[in-house]
Amino acid sequence: MNKYIEDLSARLEARYAHEHEYLQAAVRWLDRIAPVIDRDPSYEKMDLLARMVEPEHMYAFLVPWEDKKGVMHTSHGYRVQFNSAMGPYKGGLRFHPSVDMDSVKFLGFEQTYKNALTGLPLGGASGGSDFDPTDKSRREIMRFCQSFMMQLYRYIGSDTDIPSGDLGVGEREIGFLYGEYKRLTGRYESNALTGKGTKSGGSEFKKEAAGCGAIYFLQRMLADNNDSIEGKTIAVSGFGNLAWGVCRKAALLGAKVVTLSGPDGYIYDPAGIGSEEKLDFVLAMRASKKDCVEPYADRFGVEFFPGEKPWGVPVDIAIPCAVQNEVDVEDAVALVGNRVKYYAEASTMATTTEAFRLLELSPDVICAGAKAAGSGGVILSALEMVQNSQRLSWSRADVDERLHKVIDEIYDSSVAAAEEYGLGYDLIGGNNIASFLKVSEAMIAQAL
Amino acid sequence: MKQKSKRYQKINEEVKEMSFENPYLQGLMERVIRRNPAEPEFHQAVKEVLTSLDPVMTVHPEYIKEGVMECLVEPERIVKFRVPWEDDEGNIHVNRGFRVQFSSAIGPYKGGLRFHPSVYEGIVKFLGFEQIFKNSLTGLPIGGGKGGSDFDPKGKSDSEVRRFCQSFMSELFKYIGSDTDVPAGDIGVGGREIGYLFGQYKRLSNEFTGVLTGKGLTFGGSLARTEATGYGLCYYADNMLRDNGHDFDGATVVISGSGNVAIYACEKATEYGAKVVAMSDSNGYIYDKNGIDLDCIKQLKEVERKRISEYMNEHPEAEYHEGCRDIWQIPCSIALPCATQNELDKNSALALIKNGCFAVAEGANMPCTPEAVDALHANNILFAPAKAANAGGVATSALEMSQNSMRYSWSFEDVDDKLKTIMTDLYHNTTEAAAEYGMAGNLVAGANIAGFLKVADSMMSYGVV
Repeated sequence: MNKYIEDLSARLEARYAHEHEYLQAAVRWLDRIAPVIDRDPSYEKMDLLARMVEPEHMYAFLVPWEDKKGVMHTSHGYRVQFNSAMGPYKGGLRFHPSVDMDSVKFLGFEQTYKNALTGLPLGGASGGSDFDPTDKSRREIMRFCQSFMMQLYRYIGSDTDIPSGDLGVGEREIGFLYGEYKRLTGRYESNALTGKGTKSGGSEFKKEAAGCGAIYFLQRMLADNNDSIEGKTIAVSGFGNLAWGVCRKAALLGAKVVTLSGPDGYIYDPAGIGSEEKLDFVLAMRASKKDCVEPYADRFGVEFFPGEKPWGVPVDIAIPCAVQNEVDVEDAVALVGNRVKYYAEASTMATTTEAFRLLELSPDVICAGAKAAGSGGVILSALEMVQNSQRLSWSRADVDERLHKVIDEIYDSSVAAAEEYGLGYDLIGGNNIASFLKVSEAMIAQAL
Repeated sequence: MKQKSKRYQKINEEVKEMSFENPYLQGLMERVIRRNPAEPEFHQAVKEVLTSLDPVMTVHPEYIKEGVMECLVEPERIVKFRVPWEDDEGNIHVNRGFRVQFSSAIGPYKGGLRFHPSVYEGIVKFLGFEQIFKNSLTGLPIGGGKGGSDFDPKGKSDSEVRRFCQSFMSELFKYIGSDTDVPAGDIGVGGREIGYLFGQYKRLSNEFTGVLTGKGLTFGGSLARTEATGYGLCYYADNMLRDNGHDFDGATVVISGSGNVAIYACEKATEYGAKVVAMSDSNGYIYDKNGIDLDCIKQLKEVERKRISEYMNEHPEAEYHEGCRDIWQIPCSIALPCATQNELDKNSALALIKNGCFAVAEGANMPCTPEAVDALHANNILFAPAKAANAGGVATSALEMSQNSMRYSWSFEDVDDKLKTIMTDLYHNTTEAAAEYGMAGNLVAGANIAGFLKVADSMMSYGVV
């Protein structure tokens, strides 16, 4: 173990002992980039890593809002501007009761290196609130978004920081946020936010992008292992946009997604979730805000497993599309036991550190991390920014083609970086090193 | 009192020297000299442009009536500031910083920053004035500006350069911006300095924008920028040659210099079928009858940073000569001076003519002396002036701005294609302008006139501002 990394990890652990998710992400990352630090002692001399694992700015603010009965509530708002070496800060806003400074820091960290990997001019950031939108009326959500933006607008801007949606923040919330931003600044600044509706500067292909990104990356993995996606069975967790997009694209390419999951359990549909009817039902189920998948089983007469995760189902490919740390060691053991050949994390840090180690050490499983397989969403955001900047809109086919090209570049640069640092065919090691090299080069050049 | 009269005497002499037949231009030149005393470089630049514009004034008296010329010779704004910085031993030094925002008639101010002990207001004004016309010629929306400092980066440590750049930008950032003024590099300001300046601008403004060009590829730089000036030179020259029944194919070419411009001019000329037989550095030149081995030059200059004389180790059959003047004695049909200013004088021009050279295209800034240019013109040698022929560099800077504005990067081929189109258009604009004002074939005049007209017409449409 490299001494510099060891010391830095220890310092972080002492200082941020209570921030488990952030520490998990940071320490895991430091471990991954060790081969680069070992080779070049100048990183230590500049103490560059210390400025790469912590955010440039962090904002925490209070968000008072009034419910439909006239009762006041106070939520907590956050924005972590992690790194701007490669472009303006960019990352999602998450409205979920689990949101705190720790989770936002962790997401901003992951976002920085995910964004860098795309090669597009994007820095890294994240933000959100502990506000829970699930049981709120449209009017309550509007009031909350307006109050939230009244604080946030000071810190963002099309050349400074461009938030987008995440969990609990969809097109509707982005619309409310953008309207308030426009009102406060007096400018129609399209690039203040991404994820807007297509009528107010949003990009075509938004709904499909995240799922397509994961499948395009998977296709490259399969091709390099003389395999093809056609005829494969896939287990997916979650039932949001990402999961829906994976089901749809997989079906188009002749593969079959057989599971979806929610907080209530998972459904198993051996015929595959691919018909238009089923896909539309998934979208409607998500839009109902009930946050459960059981209705799918009732509607299509398939099995529902209450309180369980879908990783025990024997499939060829597993793609977690839900939340962080959903795949633990037990699940990893089940996946390996079922001879799952490909594991592609599509949602950020879906796998615990131990589970990932286990999967990667299994010689028969080929793994991809969320920084690569989960980058479809942010690539789309970046392409939305390009269209806004040019004041033009591209067709769906144009967006799809550009997205595909960026994913190919991510794959190629990851494979090349792993090769260069003696890791062999290691997509995750390659992701981390390739993105590290880009960010560090930009920071050194700018004396940041 | 005595000293003062001596100064007036000197100015009067200079006024007499810079005479025009056109009384209006004569008066204008005189005012420029009296209002900007002791800035001979600036006077010289104004004089050259006004000479080319003489015929335009006859055809378009409205430029005179509307005061376009008076406005054009006066910078819109000059910023001059103190730059204190600390060296590695803890000593404080103070340099001067400059930014001349000369003309924003056709776009935000754009021009390089030069860090060199010779920098003072006169030099920066001269360079900024020239930049207006060069930028205009590219056809892209960029005005003219220039800046820099009398700081000497030679012998400074990396940390000292960084501290200087940060202090310099701490003042400059108030005056620039992606829609206001977009500086680039020049002498003493390369990729490293641009990086430091950009980082400091970003910290001070909390904005990531295309406020500087010449950036690294990881933070908004453009592909094909290194190649741009050299390639652009050949694209321009190729148009000129074909228009006059010549061709690079099979031609023998002499190129002076071995920096970015020379290397990539050599690469493109060779690709077009020419044989480049000589290249040089500040110590001397090599002559290789079989054609220069460019890979060897690239290895020496871009990787090992060695002298060009080392070429002989790989190619003992070639010749090495100390000193650079005589490179133009080598028989060739096309000469591309890509080294430095005033490197090709009248004698060199006469030697080229005697040896049957039919075209000279300037890759460096003003490498041919005025006497050499006169000799080339007098003998009907095709001559492409730097202002037009080496505009590929600044054109690619403008393409970097386009890419930053749209938050997207073009591929190498995309940038190269656009560069080629720009240089071709530029050639046609210069020849047409020269022909229209009765100086067909004189690309020096064509470049000044074409560059001027676009700026002047924009100024007219804004009214008196």
